[in-house]
Amino acid sequence: MAINKDSNAYTLTFAIIMVVIVGTILALLSVSLKPMQKKNAKVKMKMDILSAMMSTDEKNDLNRGNTEAKFDELIQIEKALVLDMTGAIRSEISGKAVLDVNIRKERRDKTLAEVDKNYPLFIGKKNGETMYVIPVVGNGLWGPIWGNVSLGEDLKTIKGASFGHKGETPGLGAEITQGFFIDRWIGEEISVAGEAVKFEVVKNGSGSDQTKVDGITGGTITSVGVQEMVNRCMKPYVEYFKTL
Amino acid sequence: MESTLDIFVKAIFSENMIFAYFLGMCSYLAVSKTVKTAVGLGAAVIFVLVVTVPVNYLLENYMLKEGALAWLDPSLADLDLSFLAFIMFIAVVASIVQLVEMLVEKFAPALYGALGIFLPLIAVNCSILGGALFMQDRQYSTILDATAFSLGSGIGWFIAIVAIAAIREKIRYSHVPAPLRGLGITFIITGLMGIAFMSFSGIKYGKEVKEDKVAVVVTGMNTNTVNK
Amino acid sequence: MSETAKTKAPMEPLFSKKNRKLVTDPLTDNNPVTIQVLGICSALAITVQVEQGVVMGAAVLFVLVLGNLIISLMRNLIPSRIRIIVQLVVVAALVIIVNQVLMAFLPDVSEKLSVFVGLIITNCIIMGRFEAFAMANKPWPSVMDGLGNALGYAGLLILVAVFRELFGSGSLYGFPIFGSPIPTPDSPLGTGLYAMGYMNNNMMILPPMALVIVGVIIWVQRSRNKDLVESH
Repeated sequence: MAINKDSNAYTLTFAIIMVVIVGTILALLSVSLKPMQKKNAKVKMKMDILSAMMSTDEKNDLNRGNTEAKFDELIQIEKALVLDMTGAIRSEISGKAVLDVNIRKERRDKTLAEVDKNYPLFIGKKNGETMYVIPVVGNGLWGPIWGNVSLGEDLKTIKGASFGHKGETPGLGAEITQGFFIDRWIGEEISVAGEAVKFEVVKNGSGSDQTKVDGITGGTITSVGVQEMVNRCMKPYVEYFKTL
Repeated sequence: MESTLDIFVKAIFSENMIFAYFLGMCSYLAVSKTVKTAVGLGAAVIFVLVVTVPVNYLLENYMLKEGALAWLDPSLADLDLSFLAFIMFIAVVASIVQLVEMLVEKFAPALYGALGIFLPLIAVNCSILGGALFMQDRQYSTILDATAFSLGSGIGWFIAIVAIAAIREKIRYSHVPAPLRGLGITFIITGLMGIAFMSFSGIKYGKEVKEDKVAVVVTGMNTNTVNK
Repeated sequence: MSETAKTKAPMEPLFSKKNRKLVTDPLTDNNPVTIQVLGICSALAITVQVEQGVVMGAAVLFVLVLGNLIISLMRNLIPSRIRIIVQLVVVAALVIIVNQVLMAFLPDVSEKLSVFVGLIITNCIIMGRFEAFAMANKPWPSVMDGLGNALGYAGLLILVAVFRELFGSGSLYGFPIFGSPIPTPDSPLGTGLYAMGYMNNNMMILPPMALVIVGVIIWVQRSRNKDLVESH
């Protein structure tokens, strides 16, 4: 039984069967795995928030398994809130719902007006000291970068940070996730006399000033991206802290 | 935000498909022996990029993106088909290339004579799918921006392949060490061209003018720190 | 794997000389990157660190071996007019499946891989081997061919990455080799070799150096094997 493989009917049938099979497999897979993927993403988000409050050693101990427990222990989720760009509290979102705010997605969404963007704030307690964790998002050289910055009880001194990126140059821009770069941010203050300061990422070794942070050699654009991200995202929070 | 012109210029120079991302390298190396064929393939790449990226843009924004189907029916707003993106993009590229090939053959036999043999090569050219993926990743706000990006990328690719072909034609008369002849020297020259193209990354694009007026201090040779 | 078990039927022994050659050839004299000029796009973009090279190599190995097997099993069914599209769909579907599964079960690996997913689909080695080998050969040789080519590709990737990471970042697979360049209070230049004034060559990290290194590897390879020298 010879089938004419070059006939239109055969080509079309083959194409349709293939599309149906591939489509079914992919759709099934996607639907069945979606809940797990969403859960993984949420755990990752919690990990990022937690690591902003932690020292390098503690960060190394953090893994996907113990994140949920640690998060419940350190973060007072019922106190979490969302600000708008002027620093006023958005009362309609608070507590657990704050975790559903996706600022990375909001930044990419060009149809969303600036005034509608959300600025979440997480409040945690570590070793008896209250810490404020602020998520930030910006642009690096190749794609988005993001992170979390934690402030101490004085509402201005940076106590810790964690940064992440999608695809910065390994060895250069990608170094923003490394401990040595994060350490350069610790101890800096985000406001002077209640007004937001502007950080500058400068050449290696000259960042001793309060508003200057050493950049990464060769990772200039990513370092400046972090600077822009922190400067821009801190504004609403500084406004909010004034009212406390 | 970036203007359309910024996107266009950036795509040609500082984010050149070949020199910054190495996309479409395979055909770049294979079809760059003479300037004539290089011009043919380069033109075909521009053409296909300009056609496929806007089509994929519409597909992405009205079908694949999470909530993109809301225009059909509000109840579909939760549907997320983004896992299909790769397969859709590649299907669009392959079928448009096939379609273009047939149309060109029928209506412009002269053009077909010049471009024809390159069209099948293009379906598997990484720069075409790369263009679609970059478009998806960068979330251009209008179809105009996406088209400007695709045109710029195509032109950048064209410049790269024509330049290397011209160099390869001349280098035939040089005493290249035998083992390095052909592929080896082409790699090294492309590397050197890439270094030259990197100087374009210093172009300052007019973005975020209104945001900050504080001098941006660069971690380079000349640092002018402005004290606040 | 049950699929490969089925192919054990052919008379020829599984690891006959011919089949072994399919694996070993692409490692050296028929290397997909340096000789066949395939898969260069991704070879260059991700060779800054050895780890990335390893991850990419493993991903390509998986997709190429499985893809070659599938295409080879279907080779008598695929209509020739749409074979390129069929091949593309197979690659894309495989890559999506891998990515989705990793995202659900091994999220950390998936994060590392996410950047490369697009690169795997556009990797010409995969399409090239489908078209040149799997379309015309039985499943088992196709698997061997996929294995060989993927290993040859991964090997080159790792070789280039070793040079770039060692001289560009002073480390190998993330472990510092030359000490640390980060200034400490007692030694402003860092520790180890850096304290003596050694500096990383940032040039190595930049994309164009990957091309130059591949060029040099081709040079070395062809001066050892004169048969590979091109006339022009």
